[in-house]
Amino acid sequence: MTAVRNTAVSGPALPGTSGLSRTFGRSIYTKTLFDNRRVLAVWALATGLLAAMYAGFYPQLTADAADSVPEAMRGFGFDDLTSAAGYLQGAVFGLLVPLLATFYGAATGARMISADEESGYLDLLLAHPISRTRLLLHRIAALATGAVLIAAVVLGALLTVRTSAELDSISAAGFTAQAVSLALLALAFGALATGIGAATGKGRATVFGITAGTGVLTYSLHGFAPQIGADWLRHLTPFHYYIGGEPLKNGLQLADAGVLSAISAMLIGLGTWRFSHRDIGR
Amino acid sequence: MNTAIVLSELTKTYGTRRGLTELSLQVNPGEVLGYLGPNGAGKSTTIRLMLGLIRPTSGAIRVLGLDPHADAEKVHRRIGYLAGDFLVDGRQRAGECLAFLGNLRGGVPTQRIGELADRLELDLSARIKSLSKGNRQKVGLVQAFMHRPELLILDEPTSGLDPLMQQTFLDMVTEARDHGQTVFMSSHIMSEVESVADRVAIIRDGRLVATDTVAGLRTRSLLQVRIDFAAPVAAEEFAALPGVTDLAVTGTEHGATLTCRLDGSPDALVKAAARHTVTGLHADNQDLEELFHAYYTSEHSAAGARADRVA
Repeated sequence: MTAVRNTAVSGPALPGTSGLSRTFGRSIYTKTLFDNRRVLAVWALATGLLAAMYAGFYPQLTADAADSVPEAMRGFGFDDLTSAAGYLQGAVFGLLVPLLATFYGAATGARMISADEESGYLDLLLAHPISRTRLLLHRIAALATGAVLIAAVVLGALLTVRTSAELDSISAAGFTAQAVSLALLALAFGALATGIGAATGKGRATVFGITAGTGVLTYSLHGFAPQIGADWLRHLTPFHYYIGGEPLKNGLQLADAGVLSAISAMLIGLGTWRFSHRDIGR
Repeated sequence: MNTAIVLSELTKTYGTRRGLTELSLQVNPGEVLGYLGPNGAGKSTTIRLMLGLIRPTSGAIRVLGLDPHADAEKVHRRIGYLAGDFLVDGRQRAGECLAFLGNLRGGVPTQRIGELADRLELDLSARIKSLSKGNRQKVGLVQAFMHRPELLILDEPTSGLDPLMQQTFLDMVTEARDHGQTVFMSSHIMSEVESVADRVAIIRDGRLVATDTVAGLRTRSLLQVRIDFAAPVAAEEFAALPGVTDLAVTGTEHGATLTCRLDGSPDALVKAAARHTVTGLHADNQDLEELFHAYYTSEHSAAGARADRVA
């Protein structure tokens, strides 16, 4: 026997719904994606476009310019601007794209629980037969899908400009590995923001501030650590696991990807646990 | 299941906000209970405890025989909830929102949503942010009623509704009761619950100050008395009589008029008045709104036979 669920999708269409909204209205995961479709598209397109644009500058880069990079910038990945991989690891995957991914994670993660708790919508959602754990996992899954989308658009953009920007020395696999790392980085900061919101009930602005602040701080730490002769400090930042293994040259570093995934899993786990045990506040 | 909701010695203290203090209350299946109190008395706190959104500092709650925090999903499957201010993402259309919320409950027939929307004159194709507060509240009413839950928990459900729609809402509550559904609805206005509630519970400062049937509350209410005399009378003569409060004597060109409130037997007052020439006598039951108001303010706590002492 086939299970026939008496869903709002069956029968005559409800006014105010479109085929798309009905399809996406079936779970919190799909509904979250649908509700955030515009902002997600903007993140993905903007990040992809900027990545392609900066990658396109590579052929114009002269050896002079590469030599004039100040010593202070070396820790930030600007130590080898003459090779394609070196350049991309500096300007594109070392600065612009990871910071955008960090802010995507912070901004989106702050919306997943905090914003709805602040507005009071969470009360309504949680008065439905959905456990808090399920709600949070659906939300994280939507955030992760957005992160993958951004990484995919960046990958697509770079593969598109690869030949014209004289980046052929980097394999498609290398680009893909870097894109995977990028998605994992965005997810880690998304998990941090979502986890803080879920665990503490703090407002959206606070959660965004803490997460973005953590992002900028760890990014700076990652960049300055070599100058103060404390390379080991880099291992305390997510950026080390994102780019330290040079995925553009060496392909996907499973251990690093594992560390980033584990950080996300731990943050989500802690957030979920606290979320299930605390009072939901307005 | 014998009782729809049982609150036993429920206490909730949090932060600087006022919570609840040892509140005990039972709601029977199939009854409509009006939960009355001024804003900030603890009505929403009680409701959020019943939904398992927050947990009590001490005491116990059973909703439909279950613990609303530990068995949240099971409880929520069988209830409908509406907050005083229905808040959802305003970018979506009303129909889209209701279809989604219905899907969270495993699906609600399109026809049922359409019927309720028609009845409340709600335009399902309107974007929620374009709706007035009253119309947004209608979306909330539809989602609370659409799956015909065993128990409806409604927090200030009529806020923003125009009088006509308030009546439609009250009809929906009456029909829900006729179908055997239990309704717990909070309000800060007596008249709103008076016509549909089987029982009324009144809270103030997080404490239950009275629970009674609407009829029972009426018999408890004070008499508002006015006596016209042919000649001036001294207020002192009446002030000390048992049950007399709020006494005022004003002189008129024909004599004097006495007004007071009277709790209990009118015997002493009538006998005292009979010593003078009485030209007019008027006695009215205090209306429920007034009685309810009396429960709000501690100096009139004499109005309630079961009024709690308030610190």
